[in-house]
Amino acid sequence: MRERRTFPSNLTSLIGTPVTDTGGHLRGRVKDIAVGTGTEAGIVAGLILKTREGRELVPARDLLQTPSGALELRPEAVLRPVTPDDSFLMLQQDLLDQQIIDVHGRKVVRVNDVDLQWFCPGENASQQDLRVREVEVGLRGAVRRIFKGLMPRTTLDSFARRFPARVIPWELVDLIEVDPARRVKLKIEHTHLAQMHPSDLADILEELAPAERKAIFTTLDEEVAAETLEEVGPKLQRSLIDSLDCETVAGIVEEMDPGAAADMLGDLPRAHSKAILQGMSPEERHEVEELLEYREDSAAGRMTPDFVSVSLDGTVADAIQALREFDGDPESVAEVYLVDGGGVLKGVVPLSRLVLAQPDTRVAVLAEPHFISSGMDMRDPQVAELFDKYNLRALPVIDPAGRLAGVVQPDHVIAFLRERH
Amino acid sequence: MQRKSGTTVAWKTRILLFLAVLGPGFITANVDNDAGGILTYSQAGAQFGYTLLWTMLPITLALIVVQEMCARMGVVTGKGLSDLIREEFGLRATFIMMILLVVVNFGNVIAEFSGIAGSLQLFHIHKDISVPVCALLVWLLVVKGNYKGVEKVFLAASVFYIAYIIAGVLSGPSWHEALVATVKMPPRAVWRESSYVYMVVGVIGTTIAPWMQFYLQSSVVEKGISIKNYAASRLDVIVGSFFTDIVAWFIVVACAATLFAHGLGAIKVPEDAAEAMKPLAGNYAFLLFAFGLFNASLFAASILPLSTAYTVCEGLGLESGVDKTFKEAPVFYWLYTLLIIGGAAVVLIPNFPLVRITILSQVLNGVLLPVVIIFMLLLINRKDLMGKHVNSRWFNAIAWATAIIVIALSVVMLFAPGGG
Repeated sequence: MRERRTFPSNLTSLIGTPVTDTGGHLRGRVKDIAVGTGTEAGIVAGLILKTREGRELVPARDLLQTPSGALELRPEAVLRPVTPDDSFLMLQQDLLDQQIIDVHGRKVVRVNDVDLQWFCPGENASQQDLRVREVEVGLRGAVRRIFKGLMPRTTLDSFARRFPARVIPWELVDLIEVDPARRVKLKIEHTHLAQMHPSDLADILEELAPAERKAIFTTLDEEVAAETLEEVGPKLQRSLIDSLDCETVAGIVEEMDPGAAADMLGDLPRAHSKAILQGMSPEERHEVEELLEYREDSAAGRMTPDFVSVSLDGTVADAIQALREFDGDPESVAEVYLVDGGGVLKGVVPLSRLVLAQPDTRVAVLAEPHFISSGMDMRDPQVAELFDKYNLRALPVIDPAGRLAGVVQPDHVIAFLRERH
Repeated sequence: MQRKSGTTVAWKTRILLFLAVLGPGFITANVDNDAGGILTYSQAGAQFGYTLLWTMLPITLALIVVQEMCARMGVVTGKGLSDLIREEFGLRATFIMMILLVVVNFGNVIAEFSGIAGSLQLFHIHKDISVPVCALLVWLLVVKGNYKGVEKVFLAASVFYIAYIIAGVLSGPSWHEALVATVKMPPRAVWRESSYVYMVVGVIGTTIAPWMQFYLQSSVVEKGISIKNYAASRLDVIVGSFFTDIVAWFIVVACAATLFAHGLGAIKVPEDAAEAMKPLAGNYAFLLFAFGLFNASLFAASILPLSTAYTVCEGLGLESGVDKTFKEAPVFYWLYTLLIIGGAAVVLIPNFPLVRITILSQVLNGVLLPVVIIFMLLLINRKDLMGKHVNSRWFNAIAWATAIIVIALSVVMLFAPGGG
């Protein structure tokens, strides 16, 4: 595979290029470039020519590059009309000037130009094909676009080269298509997005307009959607929930941390939150409903009811088993709680001590002699103070009878402290 | 994500209720009466008496239509005006639009600093001190401070606009004459005077300023108003437009009844305009005028460069936002900084004709306006963007008429003998 450097290989320069037949007669001009999607991603299906017959597609393979900078149809070339059934991505029409997601840079950017690459698919060095290499979002592409046609192409090329290029490889570009039918047709899947951190996804959603936002959000699976929904601001949460039907939202809310879910539903009108709760499975609904009863600025309002507890007379092996069976987010667990038969909190064991101990050690031996806990109605500032004073990793919350009700996580405290500023 | 604490919720609800009334439309209306506005309206009254009042009704109508279009586009598409221009008309058209906007907005920034210089001169603070200090203040406010908090202070201080209404009343105008002049076209002879045409373009340009359309649409998008709540937004825009023009009407009347009636003629320095306030507060007139002008100028001076930087960077797809660092969004910060430094520096030129340049900047607003309106019209009538919310026939008629009339006036202004 060799690349020819002489012939232009960016979308801006290719658009408008005259295409002649073997006799040198003008057949049309390049109007757009059709690119495959799905498994054919990045492969140029052909150039769209504006001819007397309308818009016609010709494979890049059927074109010869002439020294004058025009393209010449090979004798065997066949032009076929473009039909509405074609499921191609049109670079000029669908991609240029639109917003895309830079998966690597984790942000939304606008396309200034598209860099293509001529390559030889076979042995015959004169037969060249075209593929998409990268998307240009920097100044170089912008300069090319702005000054196109105002100076000769070679001058413009060397002028544009003086500006820094910012490119995103085609594999790392995530397209945003608002129309769901077209999204299916073009096989646009946001497989990259699922690998991104929910906080980065939240930032991306914040940057998009509602329609684009919905398009992205609805393609996420419920678990990722739930984590992302926990990370976005209340205003955006609201607009995302409003844009989806209650059933879909219920499915996402089930996957959310119950504390975060209660925070979110608590801000909705009662009828709306009720409709969402109705769609949830009874167990999750019960948890969230209980949390909705508490004041938002209290320990009970901030806590999550998901925690790992073992019986006071259990062993380390029991504790590890409980951790394995834990259905919340295991990464958020910092300590295991010891409770008696009535669920009353009797001790706290940090995770690290469990790891270092023998499996048959009794957990009661590992528990810290004194542990800090809070009542249900302790206010946020006091909760933060406890965290600071005792260097807590988590704060167990107990009900008036001393039973463990939930745990306040440090990220909740940080969020509260930042809100205050 | 966290639930807000109980007290925060109550506090936030109250703010939300407050802003539900004073929405983007009302804020934009207040920014509209900036230094350029106050000085242009004053000059219109001082130079031409009541003969420009007839423009107020058609301008109000056009203002409502244009601003409503912006708000509607913002609500339906969720995108800013420059974003839409970029997506639908490509990079080159956007680039040219942005260059023009930067040039014209730079004129407006100069006008705001002229307002600052002029108002503080009334307190015997020389512009060599007032302008650099205020420029630094504005710059720091956005880069280091919290603009949203300060916005409320400015907004509250806008109450002083009512002073202009009171001044208009106390100036003892001939109500009959003023009201008749509001609904009746002036004799045709006025059009032969090119300075009159110049002033008409200036008044249109200052009332329906191009940059405000970008600002309004972005504010609507940022507030995330949904189409369900759009009726409230429309009302907000209409109320705001009326407020702008009622204040404008009274400024013209106050200056017509005092400066023009006493044959003082055109305003050369802002002190002259303070004269119009005399009937209200006697010798303290200058205090009211100076404070009103200062607040308006500083308010607009902190919004205008920022709004310009946002508009340009969004249209061209460059990083923008005050939450980014200088390194992450260099163009955004440089553009913002240069607009302020440049605007302040121009005003510092010795013997700088503050009022004349201010009015020139508003005339340039008027010249650019049709371009913006035409872009808006092309966008808002597209079914694929707006669905069933495309313009009605009447809105199209009014907006096209506005664009064509302003183009015609600009042509007349350029080719009429005499010059402005």
